[in-house]
This record gives sequence, structure tokens and C-alpha cells, in this order.
Amino acid sequence: MQNINSWLKSNTFHHSQFKDISRLVEEKEKQGLTISLCIPTLNEEKTIGKEVVIFKSELMDRYPLIDELAVIDSGSTDRTLEVAASFGADVYLSAEILPQMGAKRGKGENLWKAIYQLKGDIIVYVDADIKNIHPRFVYGLVAPLIYRREIKYVKAFYDRPLALSGQIRPSGGGRVTEILIRPLFSLFFPELTALVQPLSGEYAARREILEKIPFPIGYGVETSHLIDVYSEWGLDALAQTDLDRRVHRHQTTQALGKMAFGILRVFFKRLKQRGIVECLPELPTFLRQFQAHGEQHEQIVYEIFEEERPPMIELEVYRNQHK
Amino acid sequence: MNEKDLSKVLERVRGLTAVLEPLREVLLANLVLIGEIPAPTFGEQKRVSFLEERFVECGLQNCSTDELGNGLAILPGTKGDETILLTAHADTPFAANEDHTYTLNSHRVLGPGVADNSLGLAVLATLPILLEKLDIQLKNNLLLMASVRNLDQGNQEGLKFFLANSKQPIHAAIVIEGSPLGRLNFRSMASLGGMITCQINRKISQESAINILCQIVAQLNAIHLPQENHTFFTLGSIGGGISYKYPARNGFLKFQLRSNCDRTIEEITGSIYNILDGIAQQPGVSAHLKQIASTKSGGLDSGHPFVLRARQILDALDISPQDSIYSPIISAFAEYQVPALCIGITHAENVNYVDEFIEIEPIMKGVAQLIGILMAIDGGHQCRTSTAG
Repeated sequence: MQNINSWLKSNTFHHSQFKDISRLVEEKEKQGLTISLCIPTLNEEKTIGKEVVIFKSELMDRYPLIDELAVIDSGSTDRTLEVAASFGADVYLSAEILPQMGAKRGKGENLWKAIYQLKGDIIVYVDADIKNIHPRFVYGLVAPLIYRREIKYVKAFYDRPLALSGQIRPSGGGRVTEILIRPLFSLFFPELTALVQPLSGEYAARREILEKIPFPIGYGVETSHLIDVYSEWGLDALAQTDLDRRVHRHQTTQALGKMAFGILRVFFKRLKQRGIVECLPELPTFLRQFQAHGEQHEQIVYEIFEEERPPMIELEVYRNQHK
Repeated sequence: MNEKDLSKVLERVRGLTAVLEPLREVLLANLVLIGEIPAPTFGEQKRVSFLEERFVECGLQNCSTDELGNGLAILPGTKGDETILLTAHADTPFAANEDHTYTLNSHRVLGPGVADNSLGLAVLATLPILLEKLDIQLKNNLLLMASVRNLDQGNQEGLKFFLANSKQPIHAAIVIEGSPLGRLNFRSMASLGGMITCQINRKISQESAINILCQIVAQLNAIHLPQENHTFFTLGSIGGGISYKYPARNGFLKFQLRSNCDRTIEEITGSIYNILDGIAQQPGVSAHLKQIASTKSGGLDSGHPFVLRARQILDALDISPQDSIYSPIISAFAEYQVPALCIGITHAENVNYVDEFIEIEPIMKGVAQLIGILMAIDGGHQCRTSTAG
């Protein structure tokens, strides 16, 4: 096992190291790289406008760091697409990309279809619900890929306060990480515990990697990426960047329970595939939660499939497009 | 500037809004990035530093901060014989711990201080890029300044400090405020912003400070306000005490007195001191007047060429003029005999409340207005190409 401390020193960055965007653009152009930014959305009209304005103005108009800014939407019923388009983003409905593959609901579906739809050698994914958006959320993630050719996949981490009843907690968040992911990684993939926030929704990766890994369409996509990239290319292909503060919506404990269930299904599938745990039973798709009505308790059952999309490179239509 | 040159400027200005529209996002991005940096009065430094970075990126000269914290930079003119000051105040009335997150939808930008005065600063930060894209070069130097300590107890300290100490003679000034579009202020009224405090010595009196303040208010309302001088008295804020159970031990009353005559303000201020002296005759009661802010009357006449040209620019852009010609910000310029105008960029609502917002659609017209006025008072603007933009 690699020394995690040495990896932390060599592959952990702070966004301020890459503040000189003109130098970054120069290096990107020298290498002939192209970069696409993908924002997956579902009813994000309150925050999408600001993200598009900031990224387009700062990283396309002022400094040509990104070559393409796309919103890939899961079928919003609010004005997400209208707002995004009005500020100059390319907007796509996920269902209309690769229609022959059908349409599935989930963020991972949008991320996967982005590989087909977008043109960049590097794709950077940024969630749409960030209230304190800043250009660092993009340049902090793509910079390690531009400056270090051996790095292939860069995750974000932050000091992530949760907004609760108007009060801001100075630190916290990442509850599923600390209660579920970190214990699981400690047990089965100890090197991956070096990732400070393995579930962060912001990351950048080279196309050559993204096209070769499967994409769970739901909650497990981030966990599976880390395991798959690590298994195939090793810890040195991974890096992480501290983006400082991230302000976002707070999720209920029930919602986190669903997230944990989806992640567990993806995680156990990978343990089984790698022969780490061989005698796992068929895993059920039902999550059971409870809610109380007075003194009565009612069981609520959710069906969570956590389907996976195959590596994009396996699709003939994609291979033909990228000959 | 002769009539022929002016008509050329007016002709160009009419098409400017449409030409500026594709550059809207650059301005909006600056607006969000600036507005989300808290800048309460006396705490504007981070915001000014951001602006300085922008000035440096634009290649401006002499990007610097003066002793009081004002952010400054120079966009050199083709001749550079004279200097036009373009300024926006950097502070907002919101505390640093307020949520400064901004929200954009297709029509509005919402957030604390977005109109007063993040938009003014964003225009300042973006203008060099806009002028470059439009191929407009001014004859005179343009001195850009984000001024600090403007609001309330700041009492325009940053601007006054600059005007008192600048070695660069200023030949004209334009003040940018976020709203409202159509304001054209070129005169200042005399004013006194004050706070009356009242304390009760419990060992001597069981009187309530609130009761005393009521007596003061009654006497203030009895002061004769000469209508011919447009004199007004505004009771703005009152507070005091700690509970419903006990007589208030202290209280305050904030007010503003304004008039277009300095002498009237002085006389009424004297009357207020007399009232407070009388009140303090009561055992155990003390009352004091503290000056928060003040301005002097003055500014340009309606027939001044700058005012006339600015009105022609507003007219060419079909901008509906606002009624008032007065703004306190003109006072400092009048004091140092610098001809100055104050304009607004767009329409806003709920200004100085946390649900403050501005309308996006009129912004580029507001910016076109600024560029038009600059060209008109520059007196010899040059375009690198006649069809530029």
C-alpha cells in the first residue's frame, strides 16, 4: 500500500495555487487540450443563472479556459433551461442524447451522456446547487490535469457548511462520507481514505478515463468512479483540490438514507466483481424507512435500483464518433 | 465640444445599448463577484482589493490604494491633459455576517447591496473592457475610484479625503450609483444627519428616557421650517430601554434635517441645542446631539454645459428623467469646486433591505448613458475606427 501521507503531499492541491488563469490557458493551448464544462440539472432555476454567468464570463470570455459550457437536464419542470440558455449556456435534455439507449432518471445518467454529447479532452462536472459559485470550482479542478499529465481524475473537497435554520455551522457536512464511505474504504480500499470528500459533486477527468468506466445513474456514481479509477490506474492517477467553502442545500436524513442505500449496492457490486467478497446474496432493491403518525409507525418502502450505464467506449455509435 | 461633435456623439449613443448587450455577462459576473464580498462601512478592504485586481488585469496604470483605503487606477487618455474622475462607493449598509449570496434569474439580480452600490462598482470594474471592445479612447485621463467610508457615519470620508489630498487636479467627476436609472443629480442640499441620545441617572430620577424623547420630538416639531428654503425634518429611527417593565434608562433618536440653505441648517441646529439644554434642566436627565453626517449646499446650475450634455444623452437614450436634482454625494465635490454629476444604472426595489433587487434589462442602457456622458464631457473622444462597436 502506498504511503498516504506522501500522496497527500504530492496530489492534494489548493485552488489558490492555480489563480493565474492566463498561465493555465497558455499551458492548455500549448498541449492542444480542449475542456468542456458540464452542469447536470434538475429544477435548479434559483442557482443556475449565476453559475452560467460566472463561468461563461470568467472562463470563456475573459480567459478562454473552457471551450464548451453545457447544461444537461433531467427534465426540469421549472425555468432551469430557459434561465441557463438566456445567459449563454448550451442546453440539452438528457433524454434527447443517445435516444436509442433510452432515458433514465439520475445525475449519473446526465454525466454519462455528457461524454457522448460534449467534445472536450477534459470534462469537468460541477453541481448546479452551489450558492457561492466562483471560477475556482472549475480552474481548481482542471489545473492539476493540465500541469500534471499522469493525473487523470481530480476530486474537489471543501470546508462545507450546512445552512440550518439560517444558522451557518463553521464545518460539517459529508455525513454519509464519515459514517459510511470512510469506514468502508478503511476496510476494503484503505488507500482511498486519502480522499477528503469522496462524494463531492465536482470533479474533472480526462476523456480517456471517463469513456472507459461504467456510470451508475444514481447516488453511487462518485463512489464507483473512485474505486474503478483506482483499481485500473492506481492512486497516482487521482488527485484532489481544496476549493475552500461550498454553500449548498441541506438534505434530510431520510434523503441521506436513500443515498447510502444506493452507494452500498454499488459498493458491494464492486467487491463481488473483484472477488473481495464472494458469497454475497442477491442484494434487494428495497430500502425501508419509517415515519411516525402520533404513536403509529408506518413503514415506507423505496425501490432503488442503482442501474449502471456501460463504459461509453463500448458503444459503437460513440466509437464511430471518436474515430 | 462643438454642436457637430455633439451630434456625432448623440448618434453613436443611440445605437450603443444594442452593441453593449453581448457584453452583459461580463458585467453581471463582476456584479456577483463584487456583491458577494461583504463591505460594511469601515470594512471595505476585501472588496477594494478585488477591484484593484480587476484594474490590474485590465492593464490600467497606477493601480493602488490610498491611506484611507480608496481603490484607484488610471485609464490614460490620448492627450491626458485633464482628468475625469469616475467613482462609485464601495460600502453597503449590511453587516459582514449577513448572507451576501446573490441570485440571478432571467430578469433580476437579488442580493444585499446589489443596487447600493455593488452595481456601481461592477460598472467601474467593467468599463475599461467595454471601452476597449467599443474602440473608444477618451482624450482625457479617466481616474477610476472605489471610495470607502461613504454611508452613514462614514460621512463620505473616503471621497473627502481623496479630494482634499489628491495631487491630480480633477476637471470633472461622475458618480455611479446602481439606481435609479434616470437620476441626474448635480446639486447638493445642506443637511445634518444627527443622533440625539438621552440618559437618565437612576439615583436621581425615575423618569423614562422614552418620555423625554417624546418631549424632544414635540419641541422639534414646533421648530419653524422655512418653506422658501425647502427645509425638511425627517425622524428616521428611535430606540431605547430594555424591557416593558422598567422605565427606559437611555434612548436615542436619529434624524435628518435638510435645506437648500446652509444658514438655515446652522440656525435650526442652534435651536436643537437650545431644546436639549432646556430638557437637561430636569434633574437626572441629560441629552446630547451627535452629528452623524453633514453636507453643504452647492453644485452645478441647471444651465451648466455638463448638465445640458448629460440631459441630451439621457434624452437620446429615451431614459425617463427622475425629478430630483439633489444628492448628498455632490456636496464634497461642491466643497472642492469640482463639477460633478451623479447617475444611476438601472431600476431597483427594496434598496437597503435584504431582499434588494435590480432589473437586468435596463442595465446596458444605463451603461450606454455613462459612456455617452463620458464622451460628451470628454470633449474630443476618439474612436479607433469610425464604425467600431
